[in-house]
Amino acid sequence: MIGVGKPKQYGNVLDKPLSRGRQEVSLSAFAFLFSELVQYNQTQVDNIAELERRLEDAGYAVGARVLELLCHRDKGNRRETRLLGILSFIHSTVWKVLFGKVADSLEKGTEHEDEYMISEKELLVNRFISVPKDMGAFNCGAFVAGIVRGVLDGAGFPAVVTAHFVPIEGQQRPRTTILIKFAEEVLRREARLG
Amino acid sequence: MIVCVAVVGHQNNPLYLQSFTGSDDALKLHHIVHCSLDVIDERVNNPKRSASTLNETFLGLLYPTENYKVYGYLTNTKVKFIMVTTDLDVKDADVRSYFRKFHAAYVDAVCNPFHVPGKKITSNSFSERVGTIVRSFGPSMTL
Repeated sequence: MIGVGKPKQYGNVLDKPLSRGRQEVSLSAFAFLFSELVQYNQTQVDNIAELERRLEDAGYAVGARVLELLCHRDKGNRRETRLLGILSFIHSTVWKVLFGKVADSLEKGTEHEDEYMISEKELLVNRFISVPKDMGAFNCGAFVAGIVRGVLDGAGFPAVVTAHFVPIEGQQRPRTTILIKFAEEVLRREARLG
Repeated sequence: MIVCVAVVGHQNNPLYLQSFTGSDDALKLHHIVHCSLDVIDERVNNPKRSASTLNETFLGLLYPTENYKVYGYLTNTKVKFIMVTTDLDVKDADVRSYFRKFHAAYVDAVCNPFHVPGKKITSNSFSERVGTIVRSFGPSMTL
């Protein structure tokens, strides 16, 4: 869980509690590390699409490991085989473990059958990032999109996941939407399972 | 007594294979593991009962051969754990708790940032942990 706070200092190591302790990482440590990740990738690429792809690949590795870890920790004996099952798993469990809260909303796309959207008012990774105007529609949420893609791929639901800004009237900062587009075979399998 | 453990990836590629008896039996055990992959595929793709068992992780006794029993376990990412044992009267609860510990060791090995998913697991600490878990398998196990 990512949260803000300083760990309590103990004078004597024998005074530390035996429990597992709060599973938190300081937000500022993560923000610095993430900004360094973005800056490092920026020096390696020539254009925006490549930068987004690299962030997504970094997120993919995280997503694969998060899936293994969470399935062992929380899920007991169940394995997700249904589309809605894996989507609600991402929307609540994965989000809660990574960002400390469930995602704001999960919607089904209206134009296409295979599109789903997870929306968030302000992605945690974007909190201390403002994108300069000349970078256009670049969104550091590509990292989170990569995480979602890693989880879906590991669970057997190949998909294309992207992050977009959706401007909302009445608010200065646009809302972020993670768009999930499932592959053909997932829909066919889902139809077959009934 | 467990004689062989194996981890097989989701494309049936071997990720980890370890036998705990003399090396002359090792090839036969590898062959048994390979055959049990077919049984797993059949169980996963054609569920015998209703949909409630469609997504169980513990697959149970796969098949008994002449003096071995083979147990299987399927994780959420289609990674399979296979365990070959020579015990005749092994309890279900023992096998389940063995697989739980094994799954914990596997998750720790995968969380290593230097581990490439799909490649063999080369971590020494994973091998040691598996060795400890295997040695403590038995009816006297408590969790």
